[in-house]
Amino acid sequence: MLIERCAYSNHWRSVSPAAKALFAMCGLLAAFLAAKPQAACSVALLLAVVTCAGGRIRPLAYLRAATPALLFLATGSLSLLISVHASPAGVPQIGWAPNALPQMAHLAGRSLAALAALLMLVLTTPLPDSIGLLRRLHVPDLLLDLMVLCYRMLFVFSSAMQDTASAQASRLGYATPRLALRSAGMLAANLTLQVWQRATALHTAALARANDGPLRFLSPQFAHARRDTCIAGLAGMAVIALGVLA
Amino acid sequence: MNGPRAPILQLDEVMYHYADGSSGLDHCSLAIAQGSRNAVIGVNGSGKTTLFQHANGLFMAEHGSVRYAGQPLDYSRKGLRELRSKVGLVFQNPDRQLFSASVLEDVSFGPLNLGLDEATVRRRVDTALAAVGMLEQAAKPVHALSFGQKKRVCIAGVLAMEPELLVLDEPMAGLDPQMQAELLAVLEDLHDKGISLLISTHDVEFAYQWADTIHVMQQGRCVLSLDAYDLPAHGADLARAGLALPAVIGLHAELVCQGLLKPRPQPRSTRELLTLLGAREKDNSMLENSASLARRAV
Repeated sequence: MLIERCAYSNHWRSVSPAAKALFAMCGLLAAFLAAKPQAACSVALLLAVVTCAGGRIRPLAYLRAATPALLFLATGSLSLLISVHASPAGVPQIGWAPNALPQMAHLAGRSLAALAALLMLVLTTPLPDSIGLLRRLHVPDLLLDLMVLCYRMLFVFSSAMQDTASAQASRLGYATPRLALRSAGMLAANLTLQVWQRATALHTAALARANDGPLRFLSPQFAHARRDTCIAGLAGMAVIALGVLA
Repeated sequence: MNGPRAPILQLDEVMYHYADGSSGLDHCSLAIAQGSRNAVIGVNGSGKTTLFQHANGLFMAEHGSVRYAGQPLDYSRKGLRELRSKVGLVFQNPDRQLFSASVLEDVSFGPLNLGLDEATVRRRVDTALAAVGMLEQAAKPVHALSFGQKKRVCIAGVLAMEPELLVLDEPMAGLDPQMQAELLAVLEDLHDKGISLLISTHDVEFAYQWADTIHVMQQGRCVLSLDAYDLPAHGADLARAGLALPAVIGLHAELVCQGLLKPRPQPRSTRELLTLLGAREKDNSMLENSASLARRAV
């Protein structure tokens, strides 16, 4: 929901998603091409600053959105510093692997830069705009239909789940661990049934509006798409240069 | 005075059973006149929604016939596409109709299914959103809308297909009085544009106030179709269908008995009744003034 809120309320909301996607791709390329960990970290820092300053996203919100991925990255990177080897007696031993430090730093730096590039895109672009862009890029209809339905259903079921859980809680459904387990099971069963019913209802609603094939939608239009894309391309090249030359 | 209008939709002795064997429609017959405002009233489970799904070709009659513009429905792929471009169906629960990510996308869904070009679809989407007062919310995600706004988007999604007959299943359900008034204004605009309207409701007061024709459903059958002005004479029929006459009818009858109002014109809402009473007060005071002036002159 935090990402969703930022995507709809940021300063770059009206900027063409093609431009933002191009800039993000350049960021990913810069992360890939960064020769040194410092260069990768510089790219990550630059992208984070650009996202917060350009998109007017609060740094705290940015950090909160990045936290799960950062934790995952930290766990993965630290695991590279741990080695498992057999002692002369044949007993497995766990120890530090200081030799892996440069490799870990490089990998973490690149991952950080790639994360910053993707965060720039998702925090400034609502998913419907991204789906519209993918549609223009001729991504297969089936994949897009799934994305549209999953996105919509995410909110419908989140609301249904909250309603049901509140109704259960108001009747002491979560008063004891045993009751909580039972209520959670009933909630899951109820939602499963709702998934089935909603799927049928949506199919009927689609039929009622003359649908007999793929789901077709208009994509939003952006007034300065060409100008935005040119600026994003130039900025993206600067980021790549930073990654390569720093 | 206009003569009787040709039916745009007609059901003759239609029967339908659900997969579990329960009866949806039972020898149901009714006709919807072109350009008219129709309210289908009935208790829960009386067959209103099933009737509507027959109008849009979602259900096929097991027995009897459904005719649109005088022609039996064609259930082929092409025939259904043509029918659904002319008969728009708005479902009761907006969350069961809206499945696109944004308002613009959802409203464009129907016209794109008709195979229209992008420029035409954009024009239709803008017009439909403007008609329901949602143009400024076009870029909003559907989940960020209120219940009333979602209902409006549902209507816009069907309006963008430019139907001749708009069928709305319980459009007032779940709306507060302000939203109901706004939706009523939207429906009035549509009626002024010549679109035939068919609405289901439990609210007999609303049906009496708004509709030209009222159809009463009971156990899958349309037991009564009548001009809304004739409703006061059918209290017993309504009671058999589990419904009650609007309060304004009883109040007007009582005021007529008391000699405070005349039987005609017949008010169809409390507001109209109050207007009649106000006009009567004004007439009485004018009469008293005239009498007093006449006495002075004598």
